[in-house]
Amino acid sequence: MSAFVELRDVAKTYGLNPVLEDLTLSVDRGEILALVGENGAGKSTLMRIVGGYVPPTAGTALIDEHPLPATVQEAEDAGIVLIHQEFCLAPDLTVGENIFIGREPRRHLLVDYPKIRRESRLLLDALGSSADPCAKLSSLPNTEWQMVEVAKAFARNPKLLLMDEPTAVLGAREVEALFRRMRQFVSEGGSVIFTSHRLDEVKAIASRVAVLRDGRIRHVGPASDLTEDEMATLMVGRELSQLYPAKSAMPAGDVVLSVEDLHSPPHVSGVSFRLRRGEILGIAGLVGSGRTEAFEALAGLRPAQCRNFTLANAASGRLPTAREAWAAGLAYLTEDRKGKGLLLDAGLDENVSLTVGALRGRAWINRAEERGRLDQAVREFDIRRSAPDAIARSLSGGNQQKVLIAKTLASRPDVAIFDEPTRGVDIGSKQQIYRVIAGLAAQGAACVVISSEMQEVIGLAHRVLVMRKGSVAGELTGNDINESTIVRLAMGLTKEAA
Amino acid sequence: MEKRTFLKGGAIAIALGAVGMPKISLAAGGKTIGISIPAATHGWTGGLNFQTKRTVEQMKKAFPDIEFVVAAANDASKQVNDVEDLVARGIDALVILPFESEPLTEPVKQAKAQGVFITTVDRGLAEEGIEDLYVGGNNPQYGVIAGQYFKKKFPDGAKIVVMRGIPTTIDNVRIDAFKKELEGSKVQILDMQFANWNPDKGFEVMQDFLQKFDAIDGVWAGDDDAALGAMEAIKQANRPKPIVVLGGSGMNKVVKMVKDGGGAVDADIFYPPTLIIPAIELTTMRAATQAPIRGRYILDSPLITKDNAEEFYFPDSPY
Amino acid sequence: MNAAAADMPHRPWLGATKRLSALGPILALLALISIGSLLSDSFLSAGNLSNLLTRSAIVGIIAIGATYVITAGGLDLSVGSMSALIAGLVIMGMNAAGSSLGDSWLVVLIGIVLALALGVVAGTLNGILVVKGGIDAFIVTLGTMGIFRSVITWLSDGGSISLSSSLKGVARPLYYGSVAGVSYPLIAMIFLAVGAELVLRRARIGRHVTAIGSNPEVARYSAIRVHRVRILTYVFQGVCVALATMIYVPRLGAATPSTGLLWELEAIAAVIIGGTALKGGFGRIWGSIVGVLILGLIDNILNLTALASPYLNGAFQGIIIIIAVYLQKGRREV
Repeated sequence: MSAFVELRDVAKTYGLNPVLEDLTLSVDRGEILALVGENGAGKSTLMRIVGGYVPPTAGTALIDEHPLPATVQEAEDAGIVLIHQEFCLAPDLTVGENIFIGREPRRHLLVDYPKIRRESRLLLDALGSSADPCAKLSSLPNTEWQMVEVAKAFARNPKLLLMDEPTAVLGAREVEALFRRMRQFVSEGGSVIFTSHRLDEVKAIASRVAVLRDGRIRHVGPASDLTEDEMATLMVGRELSQLYPAKSAMPAGDVVLSVEDLHSPPHVSGVSFRLRRGEILGIAGLVGSGRTEAFEALAGLRPAQCRNFTLANAASGRLPTAREAWAAGLAYLTEDRKGKGLLLDAGLDENVSLTVGALRGRAWINRAEERGRLDQAVREFDIRRSAPDAIARSLSGGNQQKVLIAKTLASRPDVAIFDEPTRGVDIGSKQQIYRVIAGLAAQGAACVVISSEMQEVIGLAHRVLVMRKGSVAGELTGNDINESTIVRLAMGLTKEAA
Repeated sequence: MEKRTFLKGGAIAIALGAVGMPKISLAAGGKTIGISIPAATHGWTGGLNFQTKRTVEQMKKAFPDIEFVVAAANDASKQVNDVEDLVARGIDALVILPFESEPLTEPVKQAKAQGVFITTVDRGLAEEGIEDLYVGGNNPQYGVIAGQYFKKKFPDGAKIVVMRGIPTTIDNVRIDAFKKELEGSKVQILDMQFANWNPDKGFEVMQDFLQKFDAIDGVWAGDDDAALGAMEAIKQANRPKPIVVLGGSGMNKVVKMVKDGGGAVDADIFYPPTLIIPAIELTTMRAATQAPIRGRYILDSPLITKDNAEEFYFPDSPY
Repeated sequence: MNAAAADMPHRPWLGATKRLSALGPILALLALISIGSLLSDSFLSAGNLSNLLTRSAIVGIIAIGATYVITAGGLDLSVGSMSALIAGLVIMGMNAAGSSLGDSWLVVLIGIVLALALGVVAGTLNGILVVKGGIDAFIVTLGTMGIFRSVITWLSDGGSISLSSSLKGVARPLYYGSVAGVSYPLIAMIFLAVGAELVLRRARIGRHVTAIGSNPEVARYSAIRVHRVRILTYVFQGVCVALATMIYVPRLGAATPSTGLLWELEAIAAVIIGGTALKGGFGRIWGSIVGVLILGLIDNILNLTALASPYLNGAFQGIIIIIAVYLQKGRREV
């Protein structure tokens, strides 16, 4: 029996711009294939071709010995389901309605809601999700959205699942549950192609790995044959030196920010900490533990109270408004790059200067100054753009993130809060972003790094706060900053186990 | 029976309320008269509302025992609701100027079935014999008078332009009568456009007429509001030869111009919102005295000229 | 282009498409002008063009304000009623001032100042209700539309409020006057349009207006004073309505309950025809002016020619609006 998916010499060109070239790849039944590569390497395009969204420009592509489906509808009928990197869900429908959208079970002429509820429950249980099928989707956190997205894919009885960055918004526990479900799926004869920037996950779940670089396959082989470092090197095409910059000694600068007993119901209850100049403070914890909410509250972005708030340069006591926080040198880099970070249809110069302009700009915009600021950011952060006047949307995720970082740091903050600074970012860009953060701290700014990637927190932070259920479960320094301690605190375990 | 539809614009129908009260009246007082009219959305209906309010106040003074309920509607379906509400309130008589005949026929018929005395104003209903009293104007005559005016004004022939109102039956009736009257005369109609009985639209349409035609001797604006707009456009164009303007409906401003004489306007056609006055008065009379008031009262649409303008001039009216 | 664009391949270089689709309203305008000049000799006459442009200035000025409001993601349905109310109040104010000051330019000046003040008040009311009250703009301005319209109807007793005829003569040049053949209303519209376009593209506040319409969350996370800017767009709309009203009042010298009827729809239609995104985030003033001219041209051409039954005028407008907007489809989201 031949392979389930068979691609031979597939190429895809947009205009004059080749995105995929000479691509030959096969996926068997019962196999999980990981596609890894930097942003812009062509992973998403490959997924779209197999999913019936775009036709290849050249080459042969067969699925189950038939030509590729020409439309998404045909693809789904043939059992091929693509889970996009962005959510394709209707926030105002219920969880169950979302899962069965477009193929609602019917009873006579009416939608069979009891059946939707029953089957949604089963699908979600299989993913370890406790989301209520009758709950409105918009009432759930992003993590659950992703689980709904996955449940929706399974509801279509797929033979082949294409998953583009399925774990980007998930915490460790959800990832575990998702992997269990994927393993079960392939053990029943299904096939999976997925992409991820988390190479440890790739090692953990994939049977084979294909490394893409600049639209070509550079390596295909069993996942067990490659270390994470080797994968990274293949992706980037050059040796990756140490991913994290060397940690400086624990700085002993002045306290620039101190917070006592911060509350922002229902997510944050009683968070206190101090932050020193030159320090990198890591914030770990499960998704939903209130990390983002706590720091958004400090940045004046959500209603909150606290007993005391002291920020150098700012009136102390009460929490600032968003503008006051910026003006006092407290910058917050949002985790939601597309929803809250960048104006996707605006130029890069405008994006980079948006905040600093709103804070200190003159009434009339100085285009030359803004271009200069962008040029500097392009050099400093190695932003790669398609054209000098490219809009933010046209950039890959990693480059968008660098633009967002440039925008956040353009006002030269004393305190910089990075919320998931490397979400959806390829490994080469990650390394650059880590250097930026370390450099900023070395110049005397205080940095906060909130991350779901434990390695990131461990690799960067001088000190780590682990959050659980809206408050600080523990503070770690020095050699205590390690994975098992963080996990124990995050899960609320007292003894070494689990 | 005449049929008319609601017009937004100019002068036309009048509405009125009716009286009712054939039921056993329990006490001498305690009678209620409902009045349902179009809301004041433009000059003519504004005048209608004003005259209604004024007449109701006078009647209240004269007959303190009679209660009046006025409802003004923006469209026919709102007016249907109004009529139903009034009947539910237990009115004895209904004075109504229907927006449109068809949709209001059934609700008024229902009211009649409950013993309410019905007075229709300006526009009849789609079915004959429902109303006890009808007070109306004469729309065909409106067109005829206008035609006669231009024939008399220009015995040797002239080129005129015409502004129509809002596309409605009533506009058609007037314009058809006007065209028929001019048939065989030397007065030639160059063009007709809808100006919605509105001064702004009248201004713009007249500007365009003036661009289109080098020689225009007269304009029938169909309505005094539109005529005011036309006059401004003519003033702006500054033609060497004066252009004769005729409006219609008896707006006090225009009647005053006619009265004072010497201007571009030397006549108007009477079709004023004061139609509502006799309708309310007669209905009230009937409620108060049980006098045998029934039948049809058709008010003429005479030509207002300098000689008789005084008679048609109501300086206090907003219209 | 390099590989960075590859993840978003279905969005080719946006600049080119932008430029192409920008031509939509201009093409529609040119098409109408050629149709007009083919069908009617008087169409291209100086007199007709002057009439048309001067007339269009009223809704044109309102559309400039509407462009700001819509670009910021808002909507103002109250402009027509607001104009009627301001017209009524200003005429009453001017008549009162005229009786003590005589028929002087001072009275007209008082009228203008009064109109502007009223516009600021009405716009602030809309803005505060939308922004601070957190009520949908559609609902708020639908409400104020009804309120303004009822108040002017009440003030005028359903009839008209007229400027005293002697003052009318003094104020008349505001609409009918001209410099070198260019009428005052047209001059006012051009100045306002150029200024508003400059501010929208080059000034900080203009950028913030666009940013808020594009994504209010991004704006909030970027230290932009979102509330203040959004309120200001409504205030500016009020000022534009006031200016338009001061052009309108001397034209016929009266305010009636039908003054400004449906101007809100004309203004919004013009803004959208001109290429401003109805959901906000992208606006262009010149487009809105072209939109107003397109709407005015359709009426004018149909009046000048006997192209079709006048009953069908609305159908022509509808067709042109749909075509103009279709021509710029694909400008942004595919």
